[in-house]
Formats: sequence, C-alpha cells, structure tokens
Amino acid sequence: MNKMTASTMCTVMLCSAIAWVSVEIHGQSPFTPAPPDFSGVYYPAPQGGGRGGAAPAGGQRGATTTPPPPTRSAPTGDLSNGRQPTAPLLTPEYMAKWEVIRKSRMSGSYEYDPIANCLPPGMPHMMSMAYGMEIMQTKDRITFFSEWQDALRRVYLDGRKPTQKILNDPTYAGYSTGHWEGDTLVVDTVALHPDSFIDSSSPHSEEMTVKERIRFISPGVLEDRITVTDPKALTKPWETVHTYRKAAPPNDELREFACAEGLRGSPR
Amino acid sequence: MQLRIIALWIGVALCLSVAPITAHHSNSAYEVEKVVTVTGTVKSWKWTNPHTWLTLTVQNEKGETVDWELEGRAPGVLGRIGWDRTVLKAGEKVTVHMSPAKDGSRVGIIARVTKADGTILGNSAPAQ
Repeated sequence: MNKMTASTMCTVMLCSAIAWVSVEIHGQSPFTPAPPDFSGVYYPAPQGGGRGGAAPAGGQRGATTTPPPPTRSAPTGDLSNGRQPTAPLLTPEYMAKWEVIRKSRMSGSYEYDPIANCLPPGMPHMMSMAYGMEIMQTKDRITFFSEWQDALRRVYLDGRKPTQKILNDPTYAGYSTGHWEGDTLVVDTVALHPDSFIDSSSPHSEEMTVKERIRFISPGVLEDRITVTDPKALTKPWETVHTYRKAAPPNDELREFACAEGLRGSPR
Repeated sequence: MQLRIIALWIGVALCLSVAPITAHHSNSAYEVEKVVTVTGTVKSWKWTNPHTWLTLTVQNEKGETVDWELEGRAPGVLGRIGWDRTVLKAGEKVTVHMSPAKDGSRVGIIARVTKADGTILGNSAPAQ
C-alpha cells in the first residue's frame, strides 16, 4: 500500500465517521430503519376486517337479492341501554354528570351533545374516525384529519414540549407531541378542553391526558392503542383500540363536511 | 288593550330569544329500534351536511296528504355507498324504512329507501 492509497482510505473512514456521528446527533442511526409512512386515507376496520365503521345493516344499491328489511335505523345513541362493560370507569362525581347527560339524551334532547352544535368531537373521541381520516406525515409533524366534523389534530415530532401558556389554553384536539419507538409512533396529548367527551358520552376533567401507540399491524392496517388518564373523572386509566384500513382509489378521497351548512333551515 | 300589546311583545321577545334548532346531532331524537314503512312521492332531496334530508309526501290514514321530513346520513358517507345529489328526484315514488322521532312529529331517520324499480339505497356499507 503506497502513501497515497493509505491517505485516501483514512480520509474516507474519517468522512464516514463524521457522517455517522452527524446522523446520530439528528436522531437516526444509519442502521435504524426509517419510520414507517402513515400517509394516506383510512376507514375504520372493525373486528372482522369490515369497512365503513359502526353502521347498521341497511342494504346496498343495486343488490341482486333483496336484503331483509332493516330492524333498526341506527345504533342506539340515547344511552337508554346504560353503560357498557367497556366504557370508561367514572368516579362518583363524573358518574353523576353522566346520569344528567343520559336523562337528557333519553328525552330526545341534544343539550348535552357537543356534536349536535357542530363542535369538534375532541380527543380521544375523534380517533374513532367514523367517517374516515387522512394522515399527512413529514419528518417533524403528523396531521390527522377527520371527515367527521372536519376535525383536525397535529402531532409535533421535532422534540418541542407544551409550554405553560399552552397548558393554560385547552382545546378540543389538545396539544400532541410524539416520537418514534422503532415502528411505533408514541403520542402524548395534553391541554384538553373539558367540553367534550372521552367516548360518545363520558365527561372528563381538564386534567385528562391521552397516550397513544400507533403502528401498522399488517400491511395497510393501522392500529391506535389509546390510554386515557384522568385523576378526577376516572377510577382507573381507560384503554381502547382503534383499527383503520388504508383506502385505495377511488375511495381515497374524503368529502368536505361543513357541519354549519345544516344550521340553516334544517328540519332538525 | 295596552296589556295585550305588552303581552304580545313579550311573546315575540321570548320566541326570538330561543336558540336556533340544532342541525347536527346524534340519533337520540329518534326511536331507532322501531322501523316503520312509508310510501310516498319525493317532494325534495337535499344533499347537505351534516345530514341529508328527504321530504316525502304521504297520504295518511284519513286520506290527507302530509309531508314527512326524513333525515339521511352525511353526503360523504352516502356518496361512498351509491347515493348522490340527484339519486332521488322530485315526483318519483319511493318506499322508505325509517324510525320516527320520539316527539311524535312527522320527522324520521332513514334506514333504507327503495325506488320504484326495486333499487335499494341502504344507509351503510355492506359487511365485508
């Protein structure tokens, strides 16, 4: 090996080492695979792999055989069937609040239904994504958009943390920060407005926080494991899981929702 | 007389102070587990958010024609399962499976619409 070759090899090794250290500083080893790309449009994928979310059977346009007549028009939403075993476990104070909500709903009122007033569903309820969701992903941010209520949330991935000013300013989607643990996106959400529900009807306090672990469980199938903590409203953390299936064209387009359109001259 | 005028103005003020009827809601206003069938003529079909609305002219048991206001799901949802802005046209005859409102008004929520040619418009995606 002559002097020239040795010098060239040293230079290459030095440059490689600098590049490696540089990449490590920026949080990604050359031997760590890039995080998965969640970008795309998804619809709820309930157990069994169906599409389209919780909706009753009602037939289908152009069906070759006549399906049986529907026995209901929609899921029971007036809380007349009580609290389900999978519902969040509320403290006595928040259970009393829920009973007020239940009584109101059963009477047919929308007084305790923020959705009825075109308000956002808020976190974590919005992650049911009943009408579909669009995920937009960059290195520093992931944005979740819900067709239902045109609701939107941003998850910051650049290492920033919520300031006291943010904590003092609760919003429906809250303030979300996240990081990658291998192929899983771990998200923490704080600063949540108490004028929304944990699920479709369970009230919560301003102390609620939400942790999520989001990952692909098979090609095109995304899972969001959610843990909700609220020392005032819950006797223990509540866990729920949502699964979504990535849509292919032409179903990969969400429609504008524009809830306020219905505020003008609608029969209800 | 003056008292009557004052009472009238109080009434008007009260009416004006009532909050507008909410337009988007859960289904708590309806008896969703009870499905009735009505056949009538489409008066109008409104492709609006957050709910679509079918106004159906129906002949009641007394032989009078009355209008039912029937709520459908959102355009985004229905658009993915075969409905669109012009799928129902004024003047056409349809049969609707629907759940009536709890308050007894002529308002309902649609479970299914069947057109005269037998085409069925459901309110959800078929099971997969």
